[in-house]
Parts: sequence; structure tokens; C-alpha cells
Amino acid sequence: MPEVTTELERDPVYVVRTAAFDGPIELLLTLAQRAEVDLKSIALASLTDDYLRAIDQERPPLDRLAAFLVIGARLVQLKAAGLMPDAMGAEAEEDLQAWEDAIKGRLEEYKRFKELAESLMRRHASGRFTFAGLLEPEVIPQARVQVSLDALASAFQQVLDRLPAADQVTFELEHVSLADKLDHLRQMLAHQPQLNFSAVFQHARTRLEAVVTFLALLELIRIGEARVAQPSAFAEITVHAQERKEN
Amino acid sequence: MSGAIDVRDTTGLAAALEAVLFTLNRPVTVLELQDILQSPLPDVEAAASALGESLAGRGLFLQRHQDQLQLVTDPAQADVVRRVLRPEYPSRLSPAAYETLAIIAYRQPLTRARIEEIRGVNCEAVLESLEEKGLIQETGRLETPGTPRLFGTTMKFLQILGLSSLDELPPPPQSGSTSS
Repeated sequence: MPEVTTELERDPVYVVRTAAFDGPIELLLTLAQRAEVDLKSIALASLTDDYLRAIDQERPPLDRLAAFLVIGARLVQLKAAGLMPDAMGAEAEEDLQAWEDAIKGRLEEYKRFKELAESLMRRHASGRFTFAGLLEPEVIPQARVQVSLDALASAFQQVLDRLPAADQVTFELEHVSLADKLDHLRQMLAHQPQLNFSAVFQHARTRLEAVVTFLALLELIRIGEARVAQPSAFAEITVHAQERKEN
Repeated sequence: MSGAIDVRDTTGLAAALEAVLFTLNRPVTVLELQDILQSPLPDVEAAASALGESLAGRGLFLQRHQDQLQLVTDPAQADVVRRVLRPEYPSRLSPAAYETLAIIAYRQPLTRARIEEIRGVNCEAVLESLEEKGLIQETGRLETPGTPRLFGTTMKFLQILGLSSLDELPPPPQSGSTSS
């Protein structure tokens, strides 16, 4: 701010009186910026103390205080820069350069994505969509998907995996009878003739209960009161109630 | 040429693929197709490209999103199809949504943190909205502390742009000084 400095020189913000420099503080800054005065030889702390004492006696207007602060800050900055070894200065400059490059790279990357976003928007706005048919996937014939024992076993494994891990299970004696589970399953199927495989196990709180429920389901399939189906490959297995064929 | 599944030549397999994709009417993975067509992966791939080529200039279109295939209508027929359908596709997205979609499309899979690093703003709400619209999905989790979610685009993303595959996107940005 050279013009500010010259303007203030006629009515200095503060007159510095030290052994190394004697004159307006504005002049000190100008000379320090031109490296014509060595800031290392001036104690900025005591200069500040002197100034604080001076303004205690005669309160200057706010703009003068602000001007001193600006000049003082600049002097501190210059002195700090001068105290830094040259090598470190270069390194800091390199860091700054790397940081600037990173920011610039990021801005460029963002700009490219912004352009791509616009091309996506134009493409979307053109309305050249593709549409899938209206056919509902539910009508897929079940012919090719007969539930294999493996599929059933792996679905059961998933049920087991959902139960709490072994270290969280507290041991207690439990009485889970196959007969009870058979009855329960029959009731469920009477109430709702088609169930998801996982729904059959939703009440199972322990591994034992899940195992017995699974055995009950196998038994129902064996005696022909239920059958299992899978609507499509990888879909959830469903359990269906079935009229038992009397021999 | 009786048992369709036995047909080993690419044309026959392409026809079988067409029939299966028509019937299933959903994105089908090549893994599923290997099982359904009882053919190894290279044959399924060959059948897919043959089908795609044979559909050129027709009303149907083969769309591919990563390992999924789907039979859909040709983008050139969008107007006539729109007359009979009332598609729920969002007609317009916000600029933030297009930006986020672009970043995900070119850099997938990637985390929310990486997207936010590029955009420089919080992207939680825009990601939530894109996921709700079915244009992006979680494709996995990153094996780092906190296992953050990884995002990728979906088949529906291709559908609202009428692209046959992600390869049809405009040329990707050269990864400048920052690479993912």
C-alpha cells in the first residue's frame, strides 16, 4: 500500500524512536520492504510496548489504530520471513506450489465432470429412453427351477447365519419338540397357504429351534402336506401348503 | 435344430438368449445366463454381441450394464413407447444430481468421501435421492476402517440415457494430477 504510506507520512501514525531507526513507522515499513533497514536490529515487541503506552495517554481515532495494526502486522510478517533460514523458505515455497497445483488439478477435474454432467443432462433431456416390457416377472414358469436339496440346505444355512453368534448365546435347557413344531407349521400354512422360506423361521430364537423347525418342514414335505418352490433362479424359496394324498 | 439348448452355434445361442431375455424381462447376469443357456461364458458373450448386432435398426435394443443384460426398446422408439406407457422416469434431475451421476459413472465404484472430494460439497442428500430413483446403488464396501459404501450406476441409469452400455458414455476425463 504505497499510496497509503505516502498519504500518512505527512501525519505519521506513530513515530518510532529506537537506536537503529528514528522516524515515522510508515517509513520504517517502506524501508524494510525495500530491505534498506534491517528489522532484526529492531525489537518489535518493545516498539509495540512504547506504542501502547503512547495511546494510553492520548487516545487516537479508530482509523489511526487500525493503520498501526496493519503496519505492525506487516512488519511482524517481514521480520518472521527474514528470520526463516533460506532453505526452509524454499521448501515452504515448494509446499505452497504443490498445494496450489493440487487445488488447480482438483478444480480442473471438477470442471471436466461439470462438462460431462451437462452432456448427461442434454442426453437425458432428449428423452431417448429405453423401456423394459410390461410383463410381470412373476409369471415365469417354475418348470426349470426345482428346488434342489443343496439350495434348501444353503437357504437354511442363511437362516442359521442370521441367528446370534455362538458366543452370544446363553445356555439354557430348552424343550423344543418336533411334534410342537409340526403343529405350529401346519397352523402357519393353514393360515397362509404360501410362505417365504425365511418366514417359516422368523420365530426361531435359537439354533436348536431353527433345526427342529427345519426338520418339521422336511417332514411335512415328506408326508406330502407341503411343497417348496423357487419362482426363479436365486429367488427366495417359498413353502406351499398342499392337500395330503391319502393312499 | 430341435432342442434349442443344444444349439451350439452363435446364431442359435443368440436366438435362445433373445427368448430368455424377453421372457425374464429384467436385468439378467451373465452368470445366470451361463446356467440357463448351459453354455460357457465366452459363448454367452459371443451370443450377446451377435444379438446386439442383429437388433440394429429393430425396435428392440440389447442393453448391458457391467455383467447384466436386458432386452429393452430402442431409444429411437422412445416417443412411440411413451404414448402407450406412462413412465415414471424423472424427467429432469438437479444439476447436482447430474454432476454426482457423472462422477459415479466414470469413477465407479467409489465412496461418498471421494465424490465429496471432487465436488467439494456434502453429497449425502443427492446420493440418497439418486439411490431412491434407482439410478445408483451400493456395489460393495471398501475394506478400510468404517467399511464405507461404494457406489455404482444401475441398468436404469443406462435406460434414462438410452445407452447400450457404459462404454457409450462420452470419453472419460483424463485423470489429471489427482488420481483415484
